[in-house]
Amino acid sequence: MNPALTQRQLNLLLGALLLLAAGLSLLTGSEAIPLLQALRESLAERPGVAGLILTELRLPRTAVALIAGASLGLCGALMQSLLRNPLASPGLIGSANGAALGAVVCLYFGLAGAAAFILPLGGMLGALLATFTVYLLAGRDSGSLTLILAGVAVNAFTLALVSLLLNLAPSPYAVQEIALWMLGSLANLSRNELWLLLPGSLLGWLLAWRQGRALDLLGLGEETALSMGVDLTNLRRRLFLAVALAVGSAVAVTGAIGFIGLVVPHLLRPLVGHQPSRLLLPSALGGALLLICADIAVRLLPAQTEIKVGVLTALIGAPFFVWLIVRNRGRSL
Amino acid sequence: MTRNPAQPAPITGRLITVLLLWCLLGVAASAERPQRVVSINLCGDQLLLMLADPEQVASVSNLAVEPLSSFVAEQAERFPMNHARAEELIALRPDLVLATAHDSPRLLSTLETLGYRVERLPPADDLPGIVASIRRVAGLLDQDERGETMIRRLRRRLHDSDQTPLAARPTALFYQPRGYTSGRHTLQDQALRLAGWRNLAAEQGIEGYAPVDMEHLLRWQPQQLFTSIYDGSGDSLAERQLLHPALRRLTTGRPLQPVPYRYWICPGPMLADAVALLREARSRLPAAPEPNQ
Repeated sequence: MNPALTQRQLNLLLGALLLLAAGLSLLTGSEAIPLLQALRESLAERPGVAGLILTELRLPRTAVALIAGASLGLCGALMQSLLRNPLASPGLIGSANGAALGAVVCLYFGLAGAAAFILPLGGMLGALLATFTVYLLAGRDSGSLTLILAGVAVNAFTLALVSLLLNLAPSPYAVQEIALWMLGSLANLSRNELWLLLPGSLLGWLLAWRQGRALDLLGLGEETALSMGVDLTNLRRRLFLAVALAVGSAVAVTGAIGFIGLVVPHLLRPLVGHQPSRLLLPSALGGALLLICADIAVRLLPAQTEIKVGVLTALIGAPFFVWLIVRNRGRSL
Repeated sequence: MTRNPAQPAPITGRLITVLLLWCLLGVAASAERPQRVVSINLCGDQLLLMLADPEQVASVSNLAVEPLSSFVAEQAERFPMNHARAEELIALRPDLVLATAHDSPRLLSTLETLGYRVERLPPADDLPGIVASIRRVAGLLDQDERGETMIRRLRRRLHDSDQTPLAARPTALFYQPRGYTSGRHTLQDQALRLAGWRNLAAEQGIEGYAPVDMEHLLRWQPQQLFTSIYDGSGDSLAERQLLHPALRRLTTGRPLQPVPYRYWICPGPMLADAVALLREARSRLPAAPEPNQ
């Protein structure tokens, strides 16, 4: 444990940074709007332009970035602790791409038009299916290599299916949306999408609530955990479901945004003394912080069409991943 | 067996002369009025079927029979269909191939190398361009009279007695799936202006067909939004973007007005129908809208 920073201080610091970033996100956009006037306007009966931009564009966008980022960070920490493997992030073990596949099936083939909740539901099912497949392929307590290989196989397969389905979809616009599902984007989100995202995410977080102690014990080995009274089957079932709910609804709305679930828990692990239970909340806060910052950056980049936010998280995440490999070369991850 | 070798020669010679003359006459006739015209592009298909005698048409492209894209879908059913592949085009033995600048340059140069006559229709994004296109195709088909009739009718239909000064006209903007709009030098811009709207995208300096940021769009405050979904049969994120609540609140609850996509694919007389639709939308606009800010 880092003596310079207690758990409480770390959470407070991340929380404060998150608030700051969220505030900045509300101020960032292609139009400069005076925040005070916008706030006043948004309370008026017929909001002006500034109010409209604030409440209908930037607020939903910031909120979605916050919730989706928190889900990705938290789920990365959960899966890494549960599978006792530092590479088990939503992106690597297939849940993100699985969710994209589920969402694509529902959106482009008329199912999501029937009822709004079907879209996130499809994402959740896809995430669950993909994660479970990787888990079955790699086996419990597998080494990094097996897990990565299983993840690569499942990711490649789901991505191929996403691409195939978008090519076959009846809508002429579907083909152009492949990049969006693979890289993720937060552009032009509305509160409609926020409502789609919220229930699954909250349920997922709730399921992960108070599971930290069991994860700590699991970190000491399965036997130890069992002897200390941890119901492992139940724990696995519960956390798989939590990840599917949270990642599934996030990806159904934003597309598969990579690297957040991998990078954030890794960065924070040394700061919480490598203790899984202490990693969960900071990972959620850190994930939200990273995604909001990335989303601010894509809005500031000068480009005719907005850069996808997943491009930026990958640009940050991939070098980090390389650094991780180099640092751990020679010893097992 | 005796045969006078000199005897058949004059006959053959005369025959050749006759044949040559016949060929020359034939070539001259085809230069006047092509009899096997093949169009490999929807824009050529439409003007061809509207202007030519049915006997002149040898084949139209596969898009011509798509009712969502084509204004001549029903007529086009009667003619052989091509997919702009070199082999099938050669098999059609065309004396004129109608193409556009968008068609594969390799295909067109292959056809030209083989001696086929290929005419490229220039793109057009305004009324003078459309008139020139009609005149060009009519001239190529030796149907100038029909061309001029079509142009006169188009001009008559587009005539606007409305004398509202520009500043007093209502503002509009095309917002397409994926957030694209039509700025200057687009058929949409021409149609909006002919229908008595101000196209805010053009006024804000957008050139051609380009993405527009939703925040900009809200700032510009168009009184009416138009959209052209290519094919409403499927669901997609691009189309869902049109349901953004901010758009509806911007136009105080009036939904985006759909205008079929096929008006904007090719320059032609269908511009008059598009303008009629836009004029009708203008007449339905609530009178004297108060500015939003």
